[in-house]
Amino acid sequence: MELFDNLLLGMSVALTPTNLLFLMIGAIVGMIVGIIPGFGPSAGLAILLPITFGMDPISAVVMLAAIYYAAMYGGTITSILLNTPGESSTVASTFDGYPLATQGRAGPALVMQAVASFVGGTVGVILITLLAPLFSQLARSFGPPEYFLFAIAGLLLLIVMLGENRILGVISALIGFSLGTVGVDLETGMQRFTFGSAELIGGIEFIPIAIGLFGLGEIFYSFFQGIHRSESGGIVQYQREKRFWPEARDFIDTRITMVRGSLVGFTIGVLPGAGATIASLVSYTIEKSSSRTPEKFGKGAMAGLVAPEAANNAASAGAMVPLLTLGIPGSASTAVLLAAFLLWGLRPGPLLMTQNPEFAWGLIASMYLGNAALLALNIFAIPLFVRMIQIPYRLLAPAVIVVCTIGTFSVHSSMIETALMLVAGVVGFFMKLLGFSPAATVLALVLGPLAEETLRQSLTISRGSFAIFIERPASLTIIIVALAIMMLASLTRRSRPS
Amino acid sequence: MRIAFTLVILFASAIYTYAAFTDLNFLSSTGRLGPGFFPRIIGGGLICVCVLDLAIGFFRPREPVAGSEHTQTVIVVATLSALFVAALGVIGGYPAMFAFIFAILMILNRARPVQNGVIALLLPSAIYLLFDVWLNASVPRGILLERWLG
Repeated sequence: MELFDNLLLGMSVALTPTNLLFLMIGAIVGMIVGIIPGFGPSAGLAILLPITFGMDPISAVVMLAAIYYAAMYGGTITSILLNTPGESSTVASTFDGYPLATQGRAGPALVMQAVASFVGGTVGVILITLLAPLFSQLARSFGPPEYFLFAIAGLLLLIVMLGENRILGVISALIGFSLGTVGVDLETGMQRFTFGSAELIGGIEFIPIAIGLFGLGEIFYSFFQGIHRSESGGIVQYQREKRFWPEARDFIDTRITMVRGSLVGFTIGVLPGAGATIASLVSYTIEKSSSRTPEKFGKGAMAGLVAPEAANNAASAGAMVPLLTLGIPGSASTAVLLAAFLLWGLRPGPLLMTQNPEFAWGLIASMYLGNAALLALNIFAIPLFVRMIQIPYRLLAPAVIVVCTIGTFSVHSSMIETALMLVAGVVGFFMKLLGFSPAATVLALVLGPLAEETLRQSLTISRGSFAIFIERPASLTIIIVALAIMMLASLTRRSRPS
Repeated sequence: MRIAFTLVILFASAIYTYAAFTDLNFLSSTGRLGPGFFPRIIGGGLICVCVLDLAIGFFRPREPVAGSEHTQTVIVVATLSALFVAALGVIGGYPAMFAFIFAILMILNRARPVQNGVIALLLPSAIYLLFDVWLNASVPRGILLERWLG
């Protein structure tokens, strides 16, 4: 009954004209962010974060969250039509999505991906509704050792997914940790690595680093790859005629796949560091191995498209659980969301749902509405979004550079931060070029202060003994689960079709 | 290039670790873990992993980073971006935006100067509406503009 009351509260918050407007804006912007290759939700969120500062926090987070999960919908359009994933979590959608398009089934593929995304997103939100309060209660029993392990496990999982570049991922994460130590040590009040600079006493700001690494760095890298020279050719044509719609057997054959993909995706999404990319790949692997016709996968099997699509949307919902209940982001995108919460004076964690119920439940309720809106948008407004793919990158990139720069300046009216963003952009370009991981750096920058604080607290409690991380049942459970997921993620990477 | 980048990180890590060991105490005055505890772990870890990466690269040489015919474009875009940031503080946001967009489009979209001019006018207008009018957020005014306005 309390659950129903909370949901009603959330709906009453989400269903205001202002919040509905920002929800739609977020959904459309998220679709566009997902469609543009090279831009993922983390870049879109980082770049647009400064714009939300003048807004009501609930409206702002509704819009930002909509951008986050809408990007999953949008990224698949280019996966299907261009064989180019719009963002990393839609890579698995290219395996069967593009072959379907080349077989003249682009329309059914686009509709089925929208339906699968809707099912995955909705299942995910239902599970958040049921599990977030329970998780929140469970989190109240967690102590510093558990929080430390969540933070580290999340990062390690992200690094494992980098495959051969794991060492570079570790370096990237350690760079992020080192940046997070700049400023004042909260326990002793002592300045660290400020070199006498007043600007650095407050620490390295998250926004210029995130915008620089994800926004500018990505743009420089895209120019390096020559994307500005392409005229968006090679788009598989689809037709708005009767072949646009899937056949009845497409729905019947994949109904179990959608549910299974949603559950797999949500479970993996809840784990910090796992993210939608791992979820979509794991779901694809599970679907292929449990199929009676695995030989069809990779050649245009509808289940091969539906499974990762349901999974990545469910995972994006699942990632909200550790974010809202523990205050631990599981990915670069949720790290940006966490930064946004903190900037608005909200502290995600076990008490968020009780101290700010209108915020937490308003966000959850908006996700129900957002998924429904995105289903309609994806099916009926596809021609509009396909046009977005056709805007030449050489016209789009300067606009994004300007928005990045002015957006960074507008946060604190600081030219120093704007210059820092530019430096981060250059560093981000080299990181991408040389196989390092900007996502690991950003995640470590956000998690570093939490990791340090909880590690110091843990060792103070245990009088310097690291055995505390094994002696506590909850900590040991986290370690075992994280190791199992890392092994599974490692195996999954090896089973991807070439 | 990757070796050079890793060496730069190694050098920076060495400075960071040195500062952590010399300027920051491992234990605080109350006997608890002090401000130098975590940075020493991070700095030491960075040095070790960078050395490991260099050693792996030495004994198992990796494929060199593929070059690109667009390297010059990247340098030009980055340079123009840097000049844009510098110009923000001098001539102000809107003139700098117009100049930057027009200049970069004349390089990337050379065949359409009129289109470039129109975009260079429209985009700062959109930024004005978004930041100044809707969000009431500040856009740099520039030293020259402030002097002119007194």
